[in-house]
Amino acid sequence: MSALLKRWSFWSLLALVFIAIFGNRFFAAPPEAEVAASFSKPLWLDRSLPPTREITLTPEEPSVTLEWAYPPPAAFSLRTDLPESAAGLSVVWRRPDGSELTLAPLKKGLEVDGRDMAFKRALGLTPFGDAAGALFPGSGRYEVSVKGEGPWKGSVKIRLEGGRWGLLGTDQRGRDIAALFVAGVRVSLLVGIFATLIATFLGTSVGLLAGYAGGWTDSLLMRLVDLLLSIPLLPVLMALAAFWGKGLWQLILILSVFSWMGTARTIRALTLTLRDVPYIEGLRGLGAPSGYILRRHLLPETLPVLLATMTLGVPGAILSEAGLSFLGLSDPRVISWGRMLHEAQSFGAFTSGAWWMLLPPGLGIAFLCLIFLDLGKFLEERADPRLLSGGKP
Amino acid sequence: MLAAVLVLNFLLFRMMPGDPVASIIDPNFSPEAKAALSRMYGLDKSLPVQFLLYVKSTLTFDFGISFLTGRPVLDELRSRLPNTVFLLGTSLLISSFLGTWLGMAAALRRGSLLEKGVLWSGAVSFSFPSFFVQLLLLMAFASALPLFPLRGTLSVPPPPGGWALAGDYLWHMALPVFSLSLLGFGGWALYVRNLMVKILGEDFILLARARGLPRKNIVWRHAFRTLLPPLLTIFLLSLPGIVSGAVITETVFSLHGVGRFLLEAVTGHDYPAAGASFFLLALLTIGANLLSDLLYGITDPRVRLDRGGRG
Repeated sequence: MSALLKRWSFWSLLALVFIAIFGNRFFAAPPEAEVAASFSKPLWLDRSLPPTREITLTPEEPSVTLEWAYPPPAAFSLRTDLPESAAGLSVVWRRPDGSELTLAPLKKGLEVDGRDMAFKRALGLTPFGDAAGALFPGSGRYEVSVKGEGPWKGSVKIRLEGGRWGLLGTDQRGRDIAALFVAGVRVSLLVGIFATLIATFLGTSVGLLAGYAGGWTDSLLMRLVDLLLSIPLLPVLMALAAFWGKGLWQLILILSVFSWMGTARTIRALTLTLRDVPYIEGLRGLGAPSGYILRRHLLPETLPVLLATMTLGVPGAILSEAGLSFLGLSDPRVISWGRMLHEAQSFGAFTSGAWWMLLPPGLGIAFLCLIFLDLGKFLEERADPRLLSGGKP
Repeated sequence: MLAAVLVLNFLLFRMMPGDPVASIIDPNFSPEAKAALSRMYGLDKSLPVQFLLYVKSTLTFDFGISFLTGRPVLDELRSRLPNTVFLLGTSLLISSFLGTWLGMAAALRRGSLLEKGVLWSGAVSFSFPSFFVQLLLLMAFASALPLFPLRGTLSVPPPPGGWALAGDYLWHMALPVFSLSLLGFGGWALYVRNLMVKILGEDFILLARARGLPRKNIVWRHAFRTLLPPLLTIFLLSLPGIVSGAVITETVFSLHGVGRFLLEAVTGHDYPAAGASFFLLALLTIGANLLSDLLYGITDPRVRLDRGGRG
């Protein structure tokens, strides 16, 4: 097995499994939370755009200065989180030229948005004025502070929506794409692994049965396999996804019910060659029941091949799931890579040029599939020599 | 085969949830009106009777009226089928010819850069989701660089005149066909390369070489002839996947085709339309299956002799 440790795919798979299990802990908010402005670019992409910032003012730290070298932020909002209103205190904004604007009084439960009419009027703007633009006339040192007489408790939060957020930007609803991506790993792995596990179980049972029983059982089962193999899969899946419901587990079941045929064929062919091997014949002659021969002798013989076909089957399941999700036939509440691509296409990633919505999920799917292809090839190579000696005793 | 498709199709679309009649009428309709509509679509009869009626109407290509558009499904499909056939046919031709050529070239030059490229393009075509590649192409060549149209099969309104119309059609189909060929040729080339490597290692090739036959002769007369039958088998096995690909491609490029019609019908609970387009796609697969069965006879003389002996 030490050869396995030298494969890049093995380590990549381990890393992805790790991300799938623990990845979401690295994000402050759950993946479905709307954290920043829609279609925010990744942080590293366009340094001329302001990043999204949140400023918190507390009695201990009543003033914050910030250096600003960007155009005005996309949006401005202020929220107070106070146990009680404090009269005589207000939040004051100082611009680089020294002029001061009073943003809001320290009232309990106050929520101010840069688009509010009242807020614009308080700043001395027309109702159609640009509040963020008035607050940020140019670059320089800004200061926001709580000024006035008297004690206060709680905090004031000011949020400046920039055009940049996180590692991979945000989608049309302002969700963090990096967090969505990490959530998508889980779905793809779950679907890929479980759908192939169930399909392998089905395929192995059918293949062993057909190969060992022979006769009309064999021809009937193989007819079924031929039939299912020659029907376009996706339309059937689409109809079933619409009919059975779109949950993740239903999807896994649907996928596995329609992808066991290849395994069945391989296992049947193997069983056919193994059936008449002297030691199996000997077992039969000793009166061993068929179930025992199948379970204890034939199944272990097919195991190496089984492992390889199983691994090679995972990409198919992942791609099918992604395709269905992309067509919008998956549960909209389940975040998956296919779903992300669906949303990128349906909600204007094109018109806003948001390529960062496309690349991560797409490359993720491709990478995951490549991993399984490489692992499958590795297993196949290991299975083959053994098989040859087993097949020709 | 056909019978199995019929049964599957019937079961699939009769078991879908929701009262089919409910989607086309107002909930305020009187029960009598509902019953009349049910009768019109034959939904009041028992399932076996429904099945017989369904088989009869399907075999006569009478698919009924679409719940969503209110037009006969046959008319809808008839306007879409040529697009789907054109899309799949052209891309299949391009990818199979290109793939076969590259695969053979790779097998003849083992260890070259070309062979590595073929191996990689095979892996890529098995792992990159088609819609992702298509979306990228759309973003690059239709959105960022507006060389090709973003959507549709023809401009609205379509240009006058036969040549202008044909040109417009080709312009719209260029990206879909290109993307499908791009995705298809890798797997194809990989198969051809693997088969060819195996064939070139066989004794009869060695003999041909020992006889001093020219290399061209060996490759095309001996190796290529042997390659054709297994190639056809692979073609046969890949057909359903190709037809499935039509659904996705037509959705990405918003083409006026059977696949997208199926998607709209499935999501809109439009049973007659969904059933009919599924049937048509299955028929397309079966038709191509038959065609390649016929080709078997041409490529593999053994099959021909066998059949002649029996008949």
